[in-house]
Amino acid sequence: MIHATLHAYVALSAALFAIGLLGVLIRRNTLVVFMCLELMLVASTLGLVAFSRFNGTDDGNVFVFFILTVAAAEVAVGLAIIVALFRKRQTIQVDELNTLKH
Amino acid sequence: MNLDYAGLFHALRPETSLVVGALIILGLDLSIFRRHTPVERLNLALWIGALAVLAAAAHVWFAPEGPVFGGVLILDKLAMATRLGVLGLTLLTFGVASAAPAPRNPAEQVAIILFATTGFLLMAAAQQLLLAFLALELASLSLYVLAGFDKTRPESAEAALKYFLFGGMAAAFLLFGFSLIYGLTGSIELPQIAGQLFHVTLSPLLVVALVMVLVAFGFKAAAAPFHLWAPDVYEGAPTSSAALIASASKLAGFTLFARLFWREFGAVAGSVSSAHGEPGWLPAVAVIAAVSMLIGNFGALAQSNVRRLLAYSAIAHAGNLLLGVIAAGDAGPAPFYYYAATYGLATVGAFGVIAVAERAGPCQKITDLAGLHRRSPLLAGCLAVFVLSLAGIPPLAGFFGKFTVFSAALQMGGLAGPAGWLAMLAIALSALALYYYLVILKQALVAKPAPDAAPIAVPAIAKLALVLAAGLIVLFGVNPSLLLGLF
Repeated sequence: MIHATLHAYVALSAALFAIGLLGVLIRRNTLVVFMCLELMLVASTLGLVAFSRFNGTDDGNVFVFFILTVAAAEVAVGLAIIVALFRKRQTIQVDELNTLKH
Repeated sequence: MNLDYAGLFHALRPETSLVVGALIILGLDLSIFRRHTPVERLNLALWIGALAVLAAAAHVWFAPEGPVFGGVLILDKLAMATRLGVLGLTLLTFGVASAAPAPRNPAEQVAIILFATTGFLLMAAAQQLLLAFLALELASLSLYVLAGFDKTRPESAEAALKYFLFGGMAAAFLLFGFSLIYGLTGSIELPQIAGQLFHVTLSPLLVVALVMVLVAFGFKAAAAPFHLWAPDVYEGAPTSSAALIASASKLAGFTLFARLFWREFGAVAGSVSSAHGEPGWLPAVAVIAAVSMLIGNFGALAQSNVRRLLAYSAIAHAGNLLLGVIAAGDAGPAPFYYYAATYGLATVGAFGVIAVAERAGPCQKITDLAGLHRRSPLLAGCLAVFVLSLAGIPPLAGFFGKFTVFSAALQMGGLAGPAGWLAMLAIALSALALYYYLVILKQALVAKPAPDAAPIAVPAIAKLALVLAAGLIVLFGVNPSLLLGLF
């Protein structure tokens, strides 16, 4: 059985975070942007679990439970906002959301 | 770790009052008051909400000082002052909400304001990364909902989505920074992290963690270059939500920011008091502060929409507040607390005036305020107090706020270092800012009203809230020790 090092976990976590950030910045569909946001949260979760294992304290593991709960609440609020917007505008493309301009 | 649940319950009585108040509001609205008109339901919810806020304030006032639950929460003077300030600003926000037209779900609006305030109270006292994150998310998620609360206007939903996407990104950055800090120090308690960081040099991983947390707070505080959401949210959100986002949320956010950075990262602060400063987070904050002041003030000059103007002015004020946070290392938290609290008062008041003016017609453009002195002398007078306080004219509170923050920054090393230069930049830009504040006042106090503009009737509760806010600004400006005496 191969044991991954802490560096591998941190690198994976950073890579996931970067992919999520890239998606948030370049994707134009709000739902996909939203999924990328969740990916960024999950990246930190992976980091916390790995650090918890290698630090030998449980704080990181406990942190993860709360993050999962918060992420679920965030999904609820986010999807509700997207639905409310779709009802009014019939679109969820980021480019077309330009009512608010100076 | 000493787990004292009775002590925890005791210390959390303010938050408990707010949550119980919110649940009572929701329960009554669903049962007894279901068949009443929205206006009656809004008024009932606002009264119960105000009672809950007052009960929470009483609990905060009588709470003993000290760490709670093994140091997860810290009830020090800054926490108490911030909690009282947040509760006061929430109460004034209720006044703004009573002036705005009742939404379709009035009880939910008041309940969510109370939940957001619960988050602010926890932010003010959090001394552990997990609690700080949860408090911030409780407040942020409530504010996203409030920004999109007006379901009849597409602008409101668009503002909510932009706020949500930027805020969600900030939360992810914050969390990634926290996970790295936990990895580096093995703890999520601020005192222990600070103790660990004393032995650590500024490693690349620590720099990444610091940058991540800094970016997150830049988003939350609407500091440039992370300010893009602010003008859209201020313009599109319902007036009472914008008032809460601009005032109480700022105060609680800056308290958390100052506590996190000075308590946790104090060892890697660096220095900005001399020209050859040490590297650390202070120089980075100084750069963000300077960019915020420049973008905020110059952006505001170009605005024709009064809410967007207030948003750009908020960005400029965020720059000044960051200067206060920089100075907090030497001068303590009193200057930036005073600045944030009185800035919150003036902003809530300005949004309150907009909310009342909206009863008689749309109030988005600055010219919509034309002839306010004819249509309602009281509104025009209050608006003058709020706007002049934002501009920093003595004897109003805004002047003393700027004075105390700038003098604290100048005392860090005079004009020999970036802190002093930043203070001089802020003073110069304050003079520039006077122009766009006077543009608002020119419309309100000098210009003639449009021929079809009717007089504006100010409802009693809104009148009370506005006069109270204006009176407090004058009182705190004439006698600053009333606020500074809390420290």
